[in-house]
Amino acid sequence: MARVYNWQIGREMSYWYPERRSKKQFAAVFDTNKCIACQTCTLACKTTWTSGKGQEYMLWNNVETKPYGFYPLGWDVNLLEKLGAQNWDGQRYAGQTIFEAAQAGERVLGWRPDDIDYANPNVGEDDCVNAVDRGAYFSGVHNSWFFYLARICNHCTYPACLSSCPRASIYKRPEDGIVLIDQGRCRGYQECVKACPYKKTFYNAMTGTSEKCIACYPKIELGMQPQCFVNCIGKIRFAGWISKPENARADNPIDFLVHVKKVALPLFPQFGLEPNVYYIPPLNVPREFLVQMFGPNVDGALETYRNAPRDKDLSGLLTLFGSTELIVAKWKRVEEQIMGYDDSGREIIRVPLREPTHVRQAFDAARGVARTNIS
Amino acid sequence: MKVRDFVLPAAVFFAATLAGCAKKEPPASDSEVKAVFEKTLPSTVEDKIWQRAPLHTAKLLLQDMVEPRLMQASTSFVRVQSVTDGRNIAFRLSWNDATVDDVPGPGRFGDACAVQLPASTTADVPAPQMGEEGRPVEITYWSAIFQAVVNGRKDDISAIYPRVKVDHYPFEAPSLKPGSAAQQEMAKRYAPARSLGNPMAGPRKVPVQDLLAEGPGTIRQAEKSLSSGSGKYSQGGWSVLLVRPLPGGIQAGGRTQAAFAIWEGSHQEAGSRKMRTVWIPLSLGSAK
Ligand code: SF4
Ligand code: SF4
Repeated sequence: MARVYNWQIGREMSYWYPERRSKKQFAAVFDTNKCIACQTCTLACKTTWTSGKGQEYMLWNNVETKPYGFYPLGWDVNLLEKLGAQNWDGQRYAGQTIFEAAQAGERVLGWRPDDIDYANPNVGEDDCVNAVDRGAYFSGVHNSWFFYLARICNHCTYPACLSSCPRASIYKRPEDGIVLIDQGRCRGYQECVKACPYKKTFYNAMTGTSEKCIACYPKIELGMQPQCFVNCIGKIRFAGWISKPENARADNPIDFLVHVKKVALPLFPQFGLEPNVYYIPPLNVPREFLVQMFGPNVDGALETYRNAPRDKDLSGLLTLFGSTELIVAKWKRVEEQIMGYDDSGREIIRVPLREPTHVRQAFDAARGVARTNIS
Repeated sequence: MKVRDFVLPAAVFFAATLAGCAKKEPPASDSEVKAVFEKTLPSTVEDKIWQRAPLHTAKLLLQDMVEPRLMQASTSFVRVQSVTDGRNIAFRLSWNDATVDDVPGPGRFGDACAVQLPASTTADVPAPQMGEEGRPVEITYWSAIFQAVVNGRKDDISAIYPRVKVDHYPFEAPSLKPGSAAQQEMAKRYAPARSLGNPMAGPRKVPVQDLLAEGPGTIRQAEKSLSSGSGKYSQGGWSVLLVRPLPGGIQAGGRTQAAFAIWEGSHQEAGSRKMRTVWIPLSLGSAK
């Protein structure tokens, strides 16, 4: 085992291979507050990549209701229980990562789902915590809660899937950090299925190999965002490139959200993989739950997010979500206009900070009809 | 030379005597695997030849040298017999197994076995853990999952989950003539491992694979697929026949080493999680 630095846990940790960061790292920000669980993303992925034989049960992208939704069943709670106490000492994780907690003979602490665990992708959907009394109505205080968690492969900086494969069939592309399983080399041992804490590799019984989310790399290579991003109805997703914290640039949208504003947080950073999908945590969910899921910076992230209406940069950048199919590598706000640029600096999108509002009279006197206002 | 000349006829004689008995137990060979010479190689695990081919019972050890390891022992012994015709060599491996595991799936693994031989016969053998860099070993691998498909199980999800309902496969759209070149090409594109010629993906004619390795984690497909075989489950165990060419530099009457491995599917064994033997001397009989 090598020693590597993981900034998300504020310390060095053990990893199977030495630290070797890719030239660029694919990353994403998901705003959980905007997801409506329409599953358009799930279907966009399904129809693009997994409609073959043996892929029937696979959802490289899935959206589950937390806390009672899981795909596969119990993916997170099973591992949380195995991992033991996960305390933070400020920004430094004081517990063990899944690499450090690996039992004798293993490279990673993991568990392997049974086929039946994939059978109910919508288990727990819309189930909320706490009973809702008869006649209850919303009066400004959230007495019960749930939220939607959209998940894809995190294209981790320290992938557990990659480190668990005894054949080195999994590789991380040096040019963009996308993690792929070599379909010519894999022999279907399912070690990666056991090792990935997010359960984002899947065994294909018809081809005898494991398969996973490929971040739509053919699109990425053309400067475009993946299918689940551009089809997102809630416009919750934004794909781009992330830098190491010390190299963060405020004009890089992902850096701005993750490193500058610190409004988007990794999912289960304590596992130790440095996952590269960052979540704006949901409002109105108990703090303890969020800290367990997104780490110790939840309070700050929520405060920043709550303040977004008064923060023209943050709210401005959030308006770029879902505004273009292209990857926005750089951005800028000039007063009430937000501009997005591609890698070469070409302007690819321009949106107003606030959409102009038109108030239409309810009664159209010219035609003598009443109109129903729509957005 | 002298000793071998004596041992082989003796073994054949011993086997022949036993063949006449009711039990038809083959003779035992404790210290090595003895490949007896026969003009025609057996084609099934039930062939009469196996009643006289000496039986070597090999102790299986945990693969606990490289991660991921097998930490809990499963199968304890594999019984090995062998026959050669001077060009090819046949092995019969049998072992006890309470469960038939031949269905693949998430969290499901198949029973399997393998024979490993040094790719070239030299005085010292490469490391038993799948050879070494520059000193390859040849592996013939049999899997119960492959066997079930060769035996006629449809390579289709409905063969595994009979009540499955699939809405639609794009490559089975009504606009595509079933079996046409366009349809087949499209079906292949939806099976990435198959498109890349990965031997783990079908279509499959034999239940075995010819592999090469130069150390743990380096298995690759041999240039040519020359081996054949068949496996059968009965009375609480598997019997598997593996037939392959003799490795380079060895002829009838020669000696080399062989190692064996067994994977117990119900114990989630695959890849490096297996029970294996050390190198075992393998002596080849010759025509008298
Ligand atoms: S999320 Fe899982 S599959 Fe994706 S890179 Fe990380 S460990 Fe691998
Ligand atoms: S498409 Fe967007 S809004 Fe709909 S479920 Fe997916 S992430 Fe949520």
